[in-house]
Amino acid sequence: MPTTQPTLGKYLIGMAVSLLIFLAGGWLILAPFALSYQPYGADWVSQTTNNLATGIPVAVVALVAFGFFFAALLGALRAAGVLAVRKRPEAQGQAAFQPATGLALVPAPAQSDLDRTLSTLAAALAADLSARRQGGNAQVSDQSIEQVATRREA
Amino acid sequence: MSVGNAMRRLVPPGSLVLFLLFLTGIWLAISPFAMTTQPSGQPWIASTINTVALGGVLMIVSLLGIVGYMALGLRDLPREAQARQEADQETTSS
Repeated sequence: MPTTQPTLGKYLIGMAVSLLIFLAGGWLILAPFALSYQPYGADWVSQTTNNLATGIPVAVVALVAFGFFFAALLGALRAAGVLAVRKRPEAQGQAAFQPATGLALVPAPAQSDLDRTLSTLAAALAADLSARRQGGNAQVSDQSIEQVATRREA
Repeated sequence: MSVGNAMRRLVPPGSLVLFLLFLTGIWLAISPFAMTTQPSGQPWIASTINTVALGGVLMIVSLLGIVGYMALGLRDLPREAQARQEADQETTSS
């Protein structure tokens, strides 16, 4: 099975840029007081209002952008098999009756020959079990096991 | 891969948000003059310098983020297409 090399640079660039902009937003909020163009105890001047009204949304939106890039990074890592694929409860229920989907959930880089053989064997046994549950005759399942064994030998 | 799919991969939601921040940078850079907090013909006051500088930083950094993501995404597209072709060939041969 071919594995996709995850390239994380683009996600890291997006996350770094978002963090930098978040810091810029924080500075925008602090600047009127740090640079003292907002007189102490007086009403806010228009520069202060503008800086705060811009700085707070900038900081919040930068955090949102960071979240988007982080989610994309997690998705890429999952697609590459580095992180475990999140299983839904329904998918887990179906996995008991559909053994072929279980093979796709195994992380690709971790698949050695032994893993593949064991996965094939487990899939054949699960197919046999589900065929019996569905009232199929035993010949069908025997044939599937024989086919798998023949494929492995070939 | 369709053109729409490729564009979606090159311009993710994060990049759209960065574009929003780019527009915010433009506003920051022009706001002292638009709101006339900077006296005309006078040397720039501290708030003008700060706001214009931050606006410039915001514009440059957000553009860098958008373009950097797009460039690296463009570099990855052929690689992924090649991996997909190899996977298809392996599937058809086995």
